[in-house]
Amino acid sequence: MNRSSTIGAQAIFMSPAVLLAATIMLPPLFFILYTSVHGTSLSLHEYREIASSSLFRRTLGTTLVIAVASSVLSVFLAFIVAVHLARQTARRRTILLVLVLLPLWTSILVKCFAFTIILGRDGILNGILSWLFNTKIQLPLVLNRIGLFVGLTNSLVPIAVFPILASVLAIDDSVYRAASIMGAKPARILRTITIPLSLPGILAGLFTTFVYSLGAYIVPSLLGGPRDQMLSNLVDFYNRQVLDWPRAAAISVVLLAMISVFGTPLAFWRQRKGIGGARV
Amino acid sequence: MGDAKVLADHSAHAITLRGTSKTYGPVTALHPIDLTVDKGEFLTLLGPSGSGKTTLLNLIAGAIGPTTGTILLDERDITRMPPRERGIGMVFQNYALMPHMTVFENVAYPLRVRREHPKAIRAKVMESLDRVGLRGLEDRKPRQLSGGQQQRVGIARCIVYSPAIIMMDEPLGALDKNLREQMQGEIKRLHKELGTTIIYVTHDQEEALNMSDRICLLSGGQIVQLGSPDELYFQPRSRFVAEFIGESNLISGRVIGNDRMKIAEDRFILVPKAERIEKSEHLVMVRPEKVRISKLDENTAEGDNVLSGEVVSSSFIGGMTRVTINTENGLSITAKMVSARAHSRPEPASKVRLCWSPSDSVVLEN
Repeated sequence: MNRSSTIGAQAIFMSPAVLLAATIMLPPLFFILYTSVHGTSLSLHEYREIASSSLFRRTLGTTLVIAVASSVLSVFLAFIVAVHLARQTARRRTILLVLVLLPLWTSILVKCFAFTIILGRDGILNGILSWLFNTKIQLPLVLNRIGLFVGLTNSLVPIAVFPILASVLAIDDSVYRAASIMGAKPARILRTITIPLSLPGILAGLFTTFVYSLGAYIVPSLLGGPRDQMLSNLVDFYNRQVLDWPRAAAISVVLLAMISVFGTPLAFWRQRKGIGGARV
Repeated sequence: MGDAKVLADHSAHAITLRGTSKTYGPVTALHPIDLTVDKGEFLTLLGPSGSGKTTLLNLIAGAIGPTTGTILLDERDITRMPPRERGIGMVFQNYALMPHMTVFENVAYPLRVRREHPKAIRAKVMESLDRVGLRGLEDRKPRQLSGGQQQRVGIARCIVYSPAIIMMDEPLGALDKNLREQMQGEIKRLHKELGTTIIYVTHDQEEALNMSDRICLLSGGQIVQLGSPDELYFQPRSRFVAEFIGESNLISGRVIGNDRMKIAEDRFILVPKAERIEKSEHLVMVRPEKVRISKLDENTAEGDNVLSGEVVSSSFIGGMTRVTINTENGLSITAKMVSARAHSRPEPASKVRLCWSPSDSVVLEN
């Protein structure tokens, strides 16, 4: 079957799903866009307002900082997991991959409450520390940036593991053997071979987790502090506290635009190289 | 190569294996073997797949550890030493080049590992690329090179740090026939120029015969015969060796006296003189190219073994013609002769006489 007819066949099979998704997703999105420009008046007033709003700017800064930091942190942790997984036998790897996926199958809300119990002022962790040092310890681990990063990395690491693992597994084993016979120590092999050759997976992981964390809402509101609120929380604030729906809509549009800008190259990349997602 | 000479004077053995074996659970990959490889020697490990030749190579390289025995590298016990400390070079069948590095970076890798000065690295890399004829391609990536060129990079990367031993694991296995022959010549030339000890793994007997100082023929995890290409070809000890290396006619017979054997239908053939157990059964091997075919009315040389029979088939395979003959006493003998034009080649169903010199008969030790 040639390429164009494959695409044709795919289009036929995909179109019902695409149509359904479009019917459900597009009208509300258009309504948000419509609201943000004050309906038919097509006013850019709200956009001018948020551009000059210090609250918006600060929140945008926080959002970017948190998204960058949490994706870097997640990819770092995911790389360690992926390299370890790549060294296992196929059978063991499958079992361990289920463990990696486990957090993805748990509701993020449930996980946030669980972390509150574990990390809270009188939580399990502080309890253990107090018992160990025989003194009252109340480390502030939630409702601040620590709690936020714990919650975000917990849900981002599994997403980053897959593209990185695919890249690491694609490295020819004899290249490692060659390097080792030539006298390279494990640290040098990691630096000169494993990391450069798994770079496509690492970049895919970075982009994916970055885009995921840009739109984080539940984790910052439950595990973050007042200064860790992100754009989604700002939308919620204008929506429910201030009842300024056009403003909330305008911020939503900005957020959506940012996610699209960072997400589009990833979509093309996946199509071309086949990395990421469900290829392991 | 002055350093190599000094070392060579110090001791004659590059590698010594003593009772080295490898088992995986109930499976024995390599029975305990003793083997010494001389400095500067080109030793080929030859054998069919599963014969243990790759296991042996991996034991020396340190990719796996032996179950029993010791391995000495230049009199130094390396049995439990990790591969990176052994100072061995290796050329892989699939090249094993770093795909993200240029040719230069690939060849420079082992020198950078050894933290050599950038100037020294540049000079050595260029010299070694010169040796393999890749000067000018140093900025290419491996995927921009042909298979033969990639393997040259593999070899350059190996000779650049002058390892005491270079192991080659079927390095030409992925190349086509013409290129393979050309590369055989180049590897032989490099071996001569550099004087390095080379341990070469192959399943291709022609390659082994062409390149080696000695061949170590393995089968079922054991050394079947170890000797020069000449010895293995002209003095095979067993049926396996005779059949694995070159083509052979095997005739079963019974020892009569010290220079005669009784074969099918009470015919006698002459074999080289030696002490043998009277009436013991042995196989006699005759190489097809040693068998001459003549017409029935032609005279044969005095003292030759002579059998007559009928030509079954005759195939023209270029320089040589292979003729299969069924003899009167029920043997099937293949003869190989330099090709002649079609009208003078033996035709199927024609009656012919076969003869060969007794000195070309090899009595196998079962």
